[in-house]
Amino acid sequence: MPSLASLEALSEMRQEVRGRFASVKTTLTICGGTGCQASGAASAIDALREGLRQRGLSETVHLRVTGCQGFCEQGPVLVVEPGDLLYCHVRPDDVDEILTRTVAEGEVIDRLLYRDPVTGEVVRTEPEIPFYRAQDRALLGGNRRLNPQSIDDYIAADGYAALGKVLAGMAPDAVIAEVRAAGLRGRGGGGFPTGDKWAACRAADGDPKYVICNADEGDPGAYMDRSILEGNPHSVLEGMVIAAYAVGASHGYIYVRKEYPLAVEHARQAVEQAREHGLLGANILGSGFAFDVEVARGGGAFVCGESTALMASLEGKVGEPRAKDVHTVREGLRGRPTVLNNVETLANVPRIVSQGAASFAAKGTAGSKGTKIFALTGRVRNTGLVEVAMGTSLRTIVYDIGGGAADGRTIKAVQTGGPSGGCLPERLFDLPVDYETLAEAGSMVGSGGMVVMDDHTCMVDVAKYFLEFLQGESCGKCVPCRLGIDRMLEILTDVSEGRGRPEQLDLLEELADTVATTSLCALGKTAPNPVLSTLKYFRDEYDAHINEGRCPAGVCKSLVTFTIDPEKCAGCGACLRACPSQAITGTSKQPHAIDPDQCTRCGICRQECRFDAIQVA
Amino acid sequence: MSEQVTITIDGAQLRATKPSSVLDVAIEYGICIPHLCHVQTLTDIGACRLCIVEHVRNGKAVVTASCTLQVEDGMVIRSNTDRIRRLRRNLAELLVAEAPNSRAIQDIAVRCGVKEVRYPWHNESCVLCGRCVRMCNELWQAKALGFVGRGKDRHVDFPFGVRPDFCKHCGACVDTCPMTIPPCDGPMERGAEYLCLRCESQLSMNETFDDMCVQCDLGKGFQCARVSP
Amino acid sequence: MAAETLDAILERRGSDRDQLVEVLQDVQEADGYVSEAAMRQVSERLDVPLIEVYRVASFYSAFSLAPRGKHVLTVCMGTACHVRGAPALLDEVAARLEIGEGGTTDDGLFTVERVNCLGACALGPVVVVDGVYHDHMTPAKLRKLIRSLQDAERKELLDA
Repeated sequence: MPSLASLEALSEMRQEVRGRFASVKTTLTICGGTGCQASGAASAIDALREGLRQRGLSETVHLRVTGCQGFCEQGPVLVVEPGDLLYCHVRPDDVDEILTRTVAEGEVIDRLLYRDPVTGEVVRTEPEIPFYRAQDRALLGGNRRLNPQSIDDYIAADGYAALGKVLAGMAPDAVIAEVRAAGLRGRGGGGFPTGDKWAACRAADGDPKYVICNADEGDPGAYMDRSILEGNPHSVLEGMVIAAYAVGASHGYIYVRKEYPLAVEHARQAVEQAREHGLLGANILGSGFAFDVEVARGGGAFVCGESTALMASLEGKVGEPRAKDVHTVREGLRGRPTVLNNVETLANVPRIVSQGAASFAAKGTAGSKGTKIFALTGRVRNTGLVEVAMGTSLRTIVYDIGGGAADGRTIKAVQTGGPSGGCLPERLFDLPVDYETLAEAGSMVGSGGMVVMDDHTCMVDVAKYFLEFLQGESCGKCVPCRLGIDRMLEILTDVSEGRGRPEQLDLLEELADTVATTSLCALGKTAPNPVLSTLKYFRDEYDAHINEGRCPAGVCKSLVTFTIDPEKCAGCGACLRACPSQAITGTSKQPHAIDPDQCTRCGICRQECRFDAIQVA
Repeated sequence: MSEQVTITIDGAQLRATKPSSVLDVAIEYGICIPHLCHVQTLTDIGACRLCIVEHVRNGKAVVTASCTLQVEDGMVIRSNTDRIRRLRRNLAELLVAEAPNSRAIQDIAVRCGVKEVRYPWHNESCVLCGRCVRMCNELWQAKALGFVGRGKDRHVDFPFGVRPDFCKHCGACVDTCPMTIPPCDGPMERGAEYLCLRCESQLSMNETFDDMCVQCDLGKGFQCARVSP
Repeated sequence: MAAETLDAILERRGSDRDQLVEVLQDVQEADGYVSEAAMRQVSERLDVPLIEVYRVASFYSAFSLAPRGKHVLTVCMGTACHVRGAPALLDEVAARLEIGEGGTTDDGLFTVERVNCLGACALGPVVVVDGVYHDHMTPAKLRKLIRSLQDAERKELLDA
């Protein structure tokens, strides 16, 4: 594959690739992302390939395996172009019928269509699906248009045109000005103006300079970056090259958490392909600009999402953060000026350059421009990746797009920002989602994780969950984080086990303030947020635990009792067999009973029972 | 590179030579900022957070550790505000609640104004100050000790938990450890921990003269630069 | 560990100290865990103090310092999986196999690990078994899966 030595060569290649698809009548896109793989997409893909080959359709029907679309619960998802007909839960057994009826005859197979869980209506095409309709998939929509393992697809879709434009005649300062004018802010959670960060790095002294893509995405419940890196790795790479040009960097890294093996693989492939095509390396597109990238894997540490810890990891050391009195843009990797940007931030850059800052800034609010991808998960009907303009309300996201509560329950809160964020109660759902508003309310936009919680979720347990998470992930170096989180957890454990005292809540608040102010890094500084936000908005739950020894959501094991309702019990014995503590007794067809002394309140019986006979009080 | 700069600590203008940390300069001028993990001859890691100060920049006061804060010309530092004292007291309370079985830690608690411990007592034998690790790796260069594990599991250990043959048996790790100085009334049994407050006679002075050295013996055998012989 | 494997790894990665984390990741993949012998060799070849290698190996969750079981069960305990009942899955494992997270059964058949988030949140609770993702897991499904692996093992031993 000859390297592209000029912009003209890139243009020619684009025409050539587009020309190759001239004979294609139908395109079948099927999602091959991690989520759909888990739902068995691989065998469906194999069946499709085989089926097309057998029917001799490989010339006129193009099978495109895409990256994550974010509609994971309905996977494997297949879309037929043109027309955007969408089939869900596609199995290898369905392939024959799809090829015979839909592809050959244009017939729609009813049973494979999407059924809206709220209205029950059957929807045929992707744009009509309520989940998609209310979104603005400016970034994520691109995933459907290409096979992430093919640089040809990316180039055919105008890929690297932005880089071409930059190298053809934009000075580095002009690039920075464009990104500033767009108002792009860090999508990893910090929300720092990207243009300002680049400008500061450009102004710093030191050589070489680095550009690092932070694909560590440690927030549990957040997978936006996974889908972008898996589904459109070249968009991230292009963003990095443009960033490198703007700040004067010659080396770069994509730091991917090792828990995303597919993203690591696709990133590596993209780098290889870009190098082959002269889009990375010495003399990019014949411009004289040189920049190369390496893909590095995280070692499994949430703290490595923090910039100084990430850089320590790249230096072969433990991920212990260091003081940031001098920022990493001045002294970063190996002490050199370094720009560290999130995956989504970088993926937005090519579009800003191509379409201009104004089109990006046209969306969003005054302080928070553009669109943002959120991972909507938890106790909500439609879970998946949601992209909306900044400023969209929580209510729109959770109800219009998310479809409201799952299993007929009542939504109580939404948790945003991962372990650094907070829980916002349902009554605040009309708040617009933007950096300032959520921060003022005691939470944060964070990286985009949005976990929906209902009346079966105990907010004290949620705070405890996040503290336990952070206790395991804290590097342990500094006193306020290591000992402070430990003591906060001690208090919350007392509360959840019925030993809580009112004065402990006062101590909790004072300790939270100390941890937030004196911790060395952002992990410790934001660790108190889940505790503080639940104390602020769900004080009544804490009070119930402390003053009444009761867990309103029925979660905290020490405060609930599991009983079997004899009216509903059919005596099937499923719970008896499932109980790991042998706490259930009963004879066949007779109501069973739980021995409270043996019962560990693990909840397994409740999950087994088909008659809703297990009561938790 | 040796540059002379002027910084302000608590209103006093001080001359300093770069590169220096704010804590180094403070101690040199006799301004007492409590510290635990800082040792004169070793690198600073900013782990204990006791040396926190307010760094005033662009009208905002940012709380940061003075041992890792390098001096810059014109820097303004406040080491003894109400906020700093409260935070420091809370940190010292966490430390003494964790490891009361050491005179050095008890002294730090007194010096930082801890009057009561509101947490259930633990009785750990290591506060992870890292003095031993840095003594071994930087001064004696045996590299036989290190921080192993993460978070709650973080602890000091030899490689694979076994003292290696390249340990120089210098004893510097033990000498510098704050936990080896027993409480005045003897070691505290598990379940019988208490806040010592023995230096009460000095404590009352501490109320009036915030930065006065309380002769807390933090330095004896512990190499505190603050102790006047 | 065969010296060839480490040689091959270093061939590819270079002997730069910066590569320590990547080299150990490759060792973990090659051997299923990072042994003391491997750490000693890496220390020598990369010229990194032994205590540093041990520190890095013990800091990151990616590394297992003890051999793992034949089947590795990784239970996702991310927020989304947590609110969907993932803790019950660990309870199930504790009940059936009598091991906690990070533990390996005495017969060396199973190791159970927890992971903080796999990014498959819409499909939670998720359990990965030997690299294969299982979605919407319940204690019952997990019990069946464990039993099927135990049955397969028994059959293999009988056939051998």
